[in-house]
Amino acid sequence: MLPSIRIALMSIKLVTRTKAALFFTFLFPIIFLFVYSGIFARGNPDAVVYFFGPVVTLQIMGSSFWGLGLQSVMQRERGSLRRYRLAPIGPGTMVFSSLLANYLLQLPTLALLVSCAMVFFHMPLTINPLTLLLMVTVGSFAFAGFGLTIASVANTMQEAQVYNNVVWFTLLFLSGVTVPLPVLPAWIQYIAPFLPATYLVSSFQGIMVRGQVISDYRVEMLVLLISGTFGLLFAWKLFRWEKEEKISTRAKLISLTFVVPFLAVGIWMNKYGNLAATWKTTFALMSHEPLETRQPSSPVETFFLNDFERPEQEELLLKTWQISTDPNAAGRSVGDLELISPGAEETEHALRFSGRVESASGFEHGYVAAHYPFRLPAAASRLRGIQLEVRGISRLFQVGIIPPDPALPAPTLSFIPDSEWQTVRLPAAWLTAPNPFPAGSTLILEFRADGPPGEFELDLDEIRFY
Amino acid sequence: MVNDPSAAVVQVEDLHKRYGNIEALRGITFEINAGEVFGLLGPNGAGKTTTIEILEGLRQADSGTVRVCGMDPAKEQTALKERIGAQLQNTVLPDKIRVEEALALYASFYHAPASIKLLLERFGLGEKRQTFFEKLSGGQKQRLALALSMVNNPELVLLDEPTAGLDAQLRLDIYDLIERFREEHRTTLLTTHYIEEAERLCDRVAIINHGRVIALGTPRELVQKSGKDARIEASLAKPVATNRLQQLDAVVDCREVEGKYFIRAQPTAVAVAALVRFLEAESNSLLDLHIAQPTLEDVFVEMTGRKMEE
Repeated sequence: MLPSIRIALMSIKLVTRTKAALFFTFLFPIIFLFVYSGIFARGNPDAVVYFFGPVVTLQIMGSSFWGLGLQSVMQRERGSLRRYRLAPIGPGTMVFSSLLANYLLQLPTLALLVSCAMVFFHMPLTINPLTLLLMVTVGSFAFAGFGLTIASVANTMQEAQVYNNVVWFTLLFLSGVTVPLPVLPAWIQYIAPFLPATYLVSSFQGIMVRGQVISDYRVEMLVLLISGTFGLLFAWKLFRWEKEEKISTRAKLISLTFVVPFLAVGIWMNKYGNLAATWKTTFALMSHEPLETRQPSSPVETFFLNDFERPEQEELLLKTWQISTDPNAAGRSVGDLELISPGAEETEHALRFSGRVESASGFEHGYVAAHYPFRLPAAASRLRGIQLEVRGISRLFQVGIIPPDPALPAPTLSFIPDSEWQTVRLPAAWLTAPNPFPAGSTLILEFRADGPPGEFELDLDEIRFY
Repeated sequence: MVNDPSAAVVQVEDLHKRYGNIEALRGITFEINAGEVFGLLGPNGAGKTTTIEILEGLRQADSGTVRVCGMDPAKEQTALKERIGAQLQNTVLPDKIRVEEALALYASFYHAPASIKLLLERFGLGEKRQTFFEKLSGGQKQRLALALSMVNNPELVLLDEPTAGLDAQLRLDIYDLIERFREEHRTTLLTTHYIEEAERLCDRVAIINHGRVIALGTPRELVQKSGKDARIEASLAKPVATNRLQQLDAVVDCREVEGKYFIRAQPTAVAVAALVRFLEAESNSLLDLHIAQPTLEDVFVEMTGRKMEE
């Protein structure tokens, strides 16, 4: 262990003495942050939050493929591994030292990215720093395994560059690292679950944009950990000290089993997951302004969030509202949204949230949720909560407000509607100013059909602040 | 250090190694005793580096027996590496590593490392301790490579062409360093294709050609065994018929080229005495006399029919 640490620390020292390595390790990711935040996100802090995950993923991928992986091949080609080979150390020491150096170099870069995003783009840090560190650790481990696997099967620098380019551009463009997945064609969205970068990007965005927690992404994290372990085992077993040692085609084929966890989870996610809808929801939270809140100068009661009286906006409305289901019963629970007519109290339209709840095997309950992103109106200081008209099938529903800061309490109310319209009020004291989150932050109104398996139907209308 | 001269530190028997269609080693056999400086002498491609790399554990032999410090290099690598020091034919380190850092890093891999300060002094690298590897001259890089081979204070040092590519003065510097190994009774194996290096440094030499040991012994023994005659080059005041010189005691052959007489003789001293007596009797005198003893190069040429560089 100690020789690994010493070699890793020396590698880090050598990086700090090489201008090109310094540029690509520290400055390059910052340039990407500015490009993503300044051009793609147009400086909008909420959008910067959305793009922060892809920037961090890009940095992890870059250092793993072009730094760690290529560096290993270069050392072998140059002959500098031979000198290590004369010492009483083995391949495990070399692989672990590479992994460690790569990881330790990520940390200052990560700190720089967070600082720049917060200082220059006012990005709210909507993720617990320890969670961020944990995700970078897992991501770094997984992609280091990937990079080292490529390095171990490539016989020459040229070969390594070819492999790297194929993998790099595939991950770059098909996993949401550069272009958000919801705007890509359906076939790419089908491919994306087979790619490890997708899991890291989705996890970052889910946690940072939607306020989810890392345990919601335990499957993704597990897949990344398994693939990282596979990769490191291959790198260890196929480690070569000499450039003259060539790897056999058989060993190359065996190393392809590295992709097995991704194939398995990709198939599973495409069949049972609800990834496209999740990506859509996350993207909607970032990309779409919440539907304009009607704010006449009349009394507070008329601060409408939505009364669904503009059917011409149905498409945009349905794009803004998003469905999500219990990940444990992914693909089995379904939900739908549609405008219906008439609405409550002689209004013309209302929103119907309907579908079927299924539970995961071994569980008695499941859920389907509908999310609606909104921002507080200017007169928020006088608001006390949200009020709405509901009717539906008699089963348990919940309405809740998810704040931008996961540390804040999320007020939730359970109710059982019936076939007649009735008013429901959700008190939320922290709506009153001063708000503990930045002005303009996006909140989410969540309706959830919760409980045992079965059909559900909930009509909503006249959603307003009170 | 192992001081018992009867103990064989390296034992190599019937070593074979093949690279594809090329048979690099065809049954190499030799032993190196404790405290001995042993040379593997041979032209490029003879199999010297393959042999030394098998001893270092960097390559595996196809067949044959190898014991280094009583261990099998292929099976007991970690334990063996604690006890041997090795210098590669071409030592490559990261460009931006400093001399002292390199020594400290490699020393840290061993249980009983040598003092870095002493190594820097001994190998004349004290002033270059903070210099990057890329800024070192060829000679300094070679000194560093030798110093690295000593970071674990090894009982056996394996040096692969330690002076290859260096100019004459730098070579002499390296010779001094290697002679220090002998003074310390440190067993040393070096490969070289420089005849004078083997003659000067080695207690015993194995001459290798086409993967075989074609001669083994001390440099003096090899020359004597070869039966090669010494060459006497003489310039005389008056010309003499070569057939008369050929009749002198111990003279084997005589030729005259542009007034200079080239005499092959065995033993040399008898022939020189006979020549002097002959010239006195003829009222002739020597203007110049040069005696060239046979060298390992001569031995090699005689045994292989080609020169070392060919």
